[in-house]
Amino acid sequence: MNIPESHLAQEAIAALVDGELGGGPAARAARHLTGCAQCRMAVQAQREAKEALHASSDVAVPGDLLSRLCAIPFTADVPGAGGGLGALSAGPGQLTISGSTGSWSVPLEPGPGGSDRPGYARWLRRGFTGALGVLGIGVTALALNLPAGSSDGARPSSESVARGSFEERTEIVPPVVRATTVGTGGVAPTVHPGGTP
Amino acid sequence: MPDPVDTTPARTEAWVAPTWEQVVRDHSARVYRLAYRLSGNPQDAEDLTQETFVRVFRSLADFSPGTFEGWLHRITTNLFLDMVRRRQRIRFDALPEDTERLPGTAPSPEQVYSDTHLDPQVQAALDALSPEFRVAVVLCDIEGLTYEEIAATLGIKLGTVRSRIHRGRVQLREALAHLAPRRPGSAQDAVAEGSTG
Repeated sequence: MNIPESHLAQEAIAALVDGELGGGPAARAARHLTGCAQCRMAVQAQREAKEALHASSDVAVPGDLLSRLCAIPFTADVPGAGGGLGALSAGPGQLTISGSTGSWSVPLEPGPGGSDRPGYARWLRRGFTGALGVLGIGVTALALNLPAGSSDGARPSSESVARGSFEERTEIVPPVVRATTVGTGGVAPTVHPGGTP
Repeated sequence: MPDPVDTTPARTEAWVAPTWEQVVRDHSARVYRLAYRLSGNPQDAEDLTQETFVRVFRSLADFSPGTFEGWLHRITTNLFLDMVRRRQRIRFDALPEDTERLPGTAPSPEQVYSDTHLDPQVQAALDALSPEFRVAVVLCDIEGLTYEEIAATLGIKLGTVRSRIHRGRVQLREALAHLAPRRPGSAQDAVAEGSTG
């Protein structure tokens, strides 16, 4: 009998049950098990516990949770992504992950009244949007429930977004519940009254 | 229209981004099941699932294709462990205000069972494990991850994975023996008892 004196290590027992033991160690363990009832019981116990968990069947996601998950693009507060690395934008119908050229996000719906002066300058940059469309990453964001007060906070960032560089990023006004719509291919915003000349 | 930006990286167009609904549809069941097994109750499972998908939505830009499942596992388990630690701290304080949140929406045990098909005894036994053991065992035996994947998910060493799984299963089996004294470790028995009782 050349059965090893020592019993299997506990970790080896778990690994054996999970098929995580290498060929050599597994063969040694099998040799040991043929002569050692104690280790056989330990292996069997591990196996039973594993099967008890395995036997439990699948879980259905509650319907209301599912709809809440689908609504995350409308409800989640998305902080601006790190500079230059690109950002995520998504809508219920489409989701775009921008590449190194960055994605573009602007609040479509101005606050109730009074945001027409500097904010609308960016709508004159339609051509700019078209260029982004060529990039394949035209992204528009729709801000819902934008409080009148906080639209002022949003405007400077939008201004900076419109300026020059392609390194735009998603800018979010923290307390605002917002929705995002995304189009690849330069979707022109449609919800702005009287923007273009 | 002239094309001013023919330096467009081709990869942004080569990879077709899934819609958000697709992401939710494909992965919510897995996340919810994991969250349910870990937390042991539908309320926390829903919260964890919701929070996981909010994180996913926020940081999709950093996501590299091919590791999505692992990424989800990591987020969910980390959120769960955070939740456990937070509650362990809170336990020393007076009862927090939200102990009776949403009292009307808590489903009955029957409802939970019909929704999730969770074996109540197995879930109760899982709940008896310490969170670290529970995570390791659930990832291994329910999610079917390899030891290596578990080590990566939890940021622990392979040897730690082995010993946590082993000890977790030993505890699980003891808990099952307590819950169903007639035939320890038999999930089928537990189900039968649950449905006839």
